[in-house]
Parts: sequence; structure tokens; C-alpha cells
Amino acid sequence: MSRDPYAVLGVAKAATAAQIKAAYRKLVRASHPDLNPDDASAESRFKAASAAYDLLKDPTTRARFDAGEIDASGAERPDRKFYRDYAESPGHPYQQARGFQGQGDPGDIFAEFLRQRGRDTATSGGEGFARGDFVARGPDLHFALEVPFLDAVRGAKTRITLPGGGNLEVRIPPGTAPGQILRLRGHGGPGFGGGPAGDALIEIAVRPHPLFRREGDDIVITLPITIDEAVLGGKVTTPTIKGPVSLTIPKGASSGRVLRLRGRGVPHPGGGAGDQRVELRIVLPHHIDPELQAFFETRRNTHPDDPRRTLFQGMPT
Amino acid sequence: MTRYLTQDEVIAALPRLTRPRLVAFIAAEVVLPLQSPSGPLFRDLDLARLDLLCDLADPFDLEGDTLALVIALIDQLHASRQQVRLIAAALAAEPAEVRARVGACLLVGNLGSET
Repeated sequence: MSRDPYAVLGVAKAATAAQIKAAYRKLVRASHPDLNPDDASAESRFKAASAAYDLLKDPTTRARFDAGEIDASGAERPDRKFYRDYAESPGHPYQQARGFQGQGDPGDIFAEFLRQRGRDTATSGGEGFARGDFVARGPDLHFALEVPFLDAVRGAKTRITLPGGGNLEVRIPPGTAPGQILRLRGHGGPGFGGGPAGDALIEIAVRPHPLFRREGDDIVITLPITIDEAVLGGKVTTPTIKGPVSLTIPKGASSGRVLRLRGRGVPHPGGGAGDQRVELRIVLPHHIDPELQAFFETRRNTHPDDPRRTLFQGMPT
Repeated sequence: MTRYLTQDEVIAALPRLTRPRLVAFIAAEVVLPLQSPSGPLFRDLDLARLDLLCDLADPFDLEGDTLALVIALIDQLHASRQQVRLIAAALAAEPAEVRARVGACLLVGNLGSET
């Protein structure tokens, strides 16, 4: 952005601070991406207006710009994300209308859409009030809950404290993913005129585990093994989310080799589960004793090997 | 994987957001961070929302209930747009005859059997 900020805001060089603010307000109304979400060009216009206003709203920077000490560039934040980019993500906590999802019979969706509208006109004092039959569902309440990794993966029961005192039992279903929203029907705000209570919506944050990571439905872990286990193979014990399990290391396993334990990953809601992937990592002894050193010195002379030789094929030398 | 920011990280990321302002936004319930034992946590979504709240609060001198009113209307706008887009997408996949009938209803602004 290097255009003249006065021109961007459409004000004279001699404009007062109040005139500059008024001009900026008009531009925000006409160009803010969240106030004009269907306008693809709004973002660039808003960014230009904001950068110009940032420069001119502060008397010090404005004076420096007027004196030619600074130019109009550099005031813009390049990587800004706008709220409209997130505002339609499913089930987010600020959603005002209930979406179409979970409304049951597909044939009833349009009727329900019109009913919602009908309730709204009733609240504005229409005949719904006069007949004394104004009924509305209570508001949804939003909660957040951070759960340990293993509780989210295996499922657990916990309690959350409600703002007005009291608490609520929450069942975390097995395989719960970060950001997932649990809906407790009827635990939200009370309804109006005998209407049903709203729901409690609980967004789950998952505390990371030092050992296990989750990738989709798989659990991933890095398992240290010794050189002799790598060379000779053998049975070792690995942690899984449901306790230790015996694992066979194949003979001659390299670092980075991934072994798969079928069905030991994240449980699916309808039965079954993902896998646990075990990535092997060869760990040498802390102390290289003379015997080990002597063995490898001999070995290097009798069996020279270079695992890197293919890396250089066709490469500039 | 969702990323969560602490209160300090959010304040550092948004130059216009001061600590008292963030506290006021939370008190006015215009932003709903996740509660955790280590304090409130913010999603990327909350970060963009806080940026928007600053866009509105600064030039328009909005705060508290007035700001809550404006952001609630913006939320309704986004929700309505989403519903309209879902309906439009569903209709676009329908046969030409259905689209023509629905289009005719839209042109006369008719609510059909409801009225």
C-alpha cells in the first residue's frame, strides 16, 4: 500500500481528526469483509482504508507523514484472516441459528425453516403473544472442557462446573477428537412459555500426551530399541493406549521402520478401531565399550557398506 | 489439529488488543474462550473474531452491550448466508423443471402454502 492515505479515505490534506474518522467509518461500513461477506473485493478495499486510517488517526504519525519522514507503506498487516473465513465452520460457538443438520426428516426441513421465522414474528408482539401461546426453546449454552489425551481417545466420564454453580456429568465418547462438540440435550438455558430448554454444547480441547500422538484414527508412537534388537530382532513390549502389548521386531530393522499393531488405535463409535503405528528408533548405549568398538572396527574392514551411494546418482558432483 | 493460544499469546498477536479490552470482551460474552485449568484458551476463530471486534470498537466507539448487539447481528448474517448457500447448492443439483418452479416462486416473493 503506497497510495496517498488522504486519497484512500477521500479527505482533504487539511481534514480534521473528526472528518478523518467519519470518512473511515463510512469506508468500514462499505468495505469490511464481515459486514459485506458476499463482496469478494471488500477485503482489499478494507485493508487499504485501515492502513490509511492507522497512519492518519495518530497525530504524531500523521505529522511525520505530512513532513515526508515516513511513507504510506508498512502499515498493513499482510496475513490477516477475517472472521467470515471461520464464521461458517460447523457447530462453532457463536452460531446464532441452528443449521439444517440434525433436523431429522429431510422432508420437514423447509417447514422447520418457516416455523423458526414464525416464532420470530411472534416475539415482536404479533398475534402469537395476544393469544398467550408464545412458546420458545431456551438458548444453547456453550462450555469448553480440556480433557487428557487418553480420556479423549478411550472415552471417560467427567464433570464440568456450570457458571451458576452446580455441575453436570459429561460422558466423553471413545475416539473424541480435538474441537469436537458434545451436545447435552436439555441442559442449556430454560425455555420460554413452557418451551423446551436449550442444549449445553461442550467443545473439547485435548491435552497432548508425551508419548502418543493421534493421526486420524491411528495412534503413533516412537519406540526406542537397542542395536542388538535391531540386528537380531526379538520381542519387546510397547505401550498402547490400553496398556503394554508385546511386539515382534523383525530381524534387521532400521531406524524409521514403522510396525503396525492392527486395531490398537482410536476406537470407532460403531465398533472397530484404527491402528497403532510404532516407529522404531535405534538407540546406542551411552558408553561405547572397547569390545563394541573393536567389533565394529573389524566389521568395517571386512564388510564395507555405503547406504548413501545411491543418493549421489545423477547429482552434480 | 486445532491450535489454542493463551491470553498472553492473543494479546501479543493482536496489536490493538489490550489486556483490559480483552477482559471487557470476555465479560460482555462477545468472545467465548475455552476454559481450562491454566486459564482461558483461544482458537484461530476467536483470534479473527477479536480482530473484528477491534475493527468495530475503535472507529465506532462501541463497547459492552452495543458491541454485543452488533456482533450478534453479524453472527446472524453469517448463519443466514450459510443457510441460503446450502439451499442454493441443493437446488442447483435439482432438475431444470424444479429449479424453474422454485425460481418463479422467488421472483414473485411468494412464501407458498405458508401464507
